[in-house]
Amino acid sequence: MTTEHNTHFGFKTVAESEKAKKVADVFHSVASKYDLMNDVMSAGMHRGWKRFAVSVSGVNRGDKVLDIAGGSGDLSKLFAQKVGAEGQVILTDINASMLGVGRDRMLDAGLNVPALQCDAEKLPFPDNYFDCVIVAFGLRNMTHKDRALAEMQRVLKVGGRLLVLEFSKVWQPLSKAYDMYSFKLLPLMGKLLAKDAESYQYLAESIRMHPDQETLKQMMIDAGLSKVDYYNLSAGVVALHKGYKT
Amino acid sequence: MLKQLSTHIIQHLLAQNEWTAPMLQPFASQSAQLNFVLFKTSLVILENGSLAIAGETNVPDATITIPPSLLLRLMAKDESAKLQIKVEGDTHLATALAKVLSHVRWDYEDDLSKLTGDVPAYKIGEFTRQTVSSVKDTATNLAEMLSEYWQEEKPLLAKKRHIEQFNTEVDTLRADVERLEKRLNKLATKINTSTDPNS
Repeated sequence: MTTEHNTHFGFKTVAESEKAKKVADVFHSVASKYDLMNDVMSAGMHRGWKRFAVSVSGVNRGDKVLDIAGGSGDLSKLFAQKVGAEGQVILTDINASMLGVGRDRMLDAGLNVPALQCDAEKLPFPDNYFDCVIVAFGLRNMTHKDRALAEMQRVLKVGGRLLVLEFSKVWQPLSKAYDMYSFKLLPLMGKLLAKDAESYQYLAESIRMHPDQETLKQMMIDAGLSKVDYYNLSAGVVALHKGYKT
Repeated sequence: MLKQLSTHIIQHLLAQNEWTAPMLQPFASQSAQLNFVLFKTSLVILENGSLAIAGETNVPDATITIPPSLLLRLMAKDESAKLQIKVEGDTHLATALAKVLSHVRWDYEDDLSKLTGDVPAYKIGEFTRQTVSSVKDTATNLAEMLSEYWQEEKPLLAKKRHIEQFNTEVDTLRADVERLEKRLNKLATKINTSTDPNS
């Protein structure tokens, strides 16, 4: 007899084997309007957060960068400009619909960025390969975050860095207003703009279930990263964690 | 927002001063705290030789403390003021960072040229340089005039020559006192030796 472990899917508890499928359904559903919704939900701030992540990455010309859960490819695009023709950026996502959007955008922009569908918990890359690995707004959807972080650490070169950009714990005085926005306004906007209130309800719930700044920092240390530090962006709505492989 | 803006400004300045990257690259991933007493900020060195504001939980490898009283002297390029900057932790890192921060220059003409084009940017730059230079000359003339008045007409300030003479006399006096002290000690030792019944 096998025992099935449970995990969270937003505020619901589901079997581990079901989570990936449920998350995939959410992103299949929102893929075509993902960036539009991000712009509306964050008032365009997600672009600033991503640009900040690129600016503290220390990525140089000729570097190798892995963009995990890169979806619509906006980070890959920024990194591709930084590493130049002699560098390499690989865009990955577990979700074919999201990856398709990103791959098309890269092609339209004339960028040579390979798009690869893969699971972040089982990365198909050799050890010590990348100078920088980034996961933006993707870690919270992963079933086994510890395994995913360990995989990211494995594929990094010594001296390479992992950047995790993710929703986090907001500054306490703003938490009530933020809750109101997330659970009332966000599903309503999802319903009006993407005709999909449920998916956006899940996005709001998954943000609350994600580890806070200090917990994620400890998880990165446990995964073998060192000198882990984080930036609170927009009063902690989002946090950017950076750790080194030594 | 402030972190993003500060990092952007610092990185823009460093990108204009390409010589800084090779100086900072050996210290990649290390960080230093700049302590101006009234406010503190930590900078982390990135792998591409650029700088960013450090995160919330950063532990600096070096600390550079500059008292507010030194700021004006440093701005006036007083070399002796640099010796009073307090450095703790990794001194190589702090020295490299201090050198970069003190020599970095804003190429405002380059930035302006993106808005106005090259020729107007050069003309505005030239006008600004001439204005700054003439204000500086006027300020120097005024300061020299006041200094002369307070030294010659209404003696409020001491002349450099008099200060140097006073310093020399103090040095001579100190040397004389030290010599006298040694002679007294020698005499005291001699008296003790002659009155000691065991000797």
